[in-house]
Amino acid sequence: MADVRLSIAGRPYDVHCADGQEDRIRQLAAIIDEKARSVQGGTEVRQLLFASLMLADETQEARGKVEKAAPQSDSLRAAVALAESREAAAKDELRAAQTREQEALAEARAAAEREAAALAELETLRQGAPVVPAPPSGRHDRALMQIADRIEALATKVEQIP
Amino acid sequence: MELDLDESSLAIGRIERALSRIEKALAAQAERPASAATAPPPESSALKAEVAAVIGELDRLIGEAKHG
Repeated sequence: MADVRLSIAGRPYDVHCADGQEDRIRQLAAIIDEKARSVQGGTEVRQLLFASLMLADETQEARGKVEKAAPQSDSLRAAVALAESREAAAKDELRAAQTREQEALAEARAAAEREAAALAELETLRQGAPVVPAPPSGRHDRALMQIADRIEALATKVEQIP
Repeated sequence: MELDLDESSLAIGRIERALSRIEKALAAQAERPASAATAPPPESSALKAEVAAVIGELDRLIGEAKHG
């Protein structure tokens, strides 16, 4: 415990308080002293009475303000929670959109590469250069022509059947 | 001289037209009276053999094209 000497309305008071609370007690006593000194005239008891009334009035007024501010505070907290929720949803949507965009880009890139490869192969074929690996396209073409000859001959024979 | 892509397409076009001719001829034969169809011509088995051979050749060609 700590011993503290207070001075209120010109009279000293010795009080005890928990260790470490000395400054706080002195600060409160200074407020009471200020109120008591603001009351002119009258006895010491009367000065303390009016100081108590003024402090009680201030306390009640402060409580009223706190109670009025509470609903606003609740509304603010709800608004903040809603905004945070919307922000999280927007971030999720943004991430999903970015993923979709990346997938679409990759698909488009792959399609473009396939198209470029096909065009390059076609160009090579047009120029008559061998394709790497060289497919036996010439042999296949010749075989196709021979098959065409044989099917045409077959058609002629079938048409000649009485 | 090797055939180019256009000649390959030409060969496929010829095959399609010949198949169409065969289809029409067979349809016309099917519409004739039954008595006319009872006696198969002597070259019928040779035709069947040729059709089978051509189909086999086409299958082989398609298989080669698929497997490079």
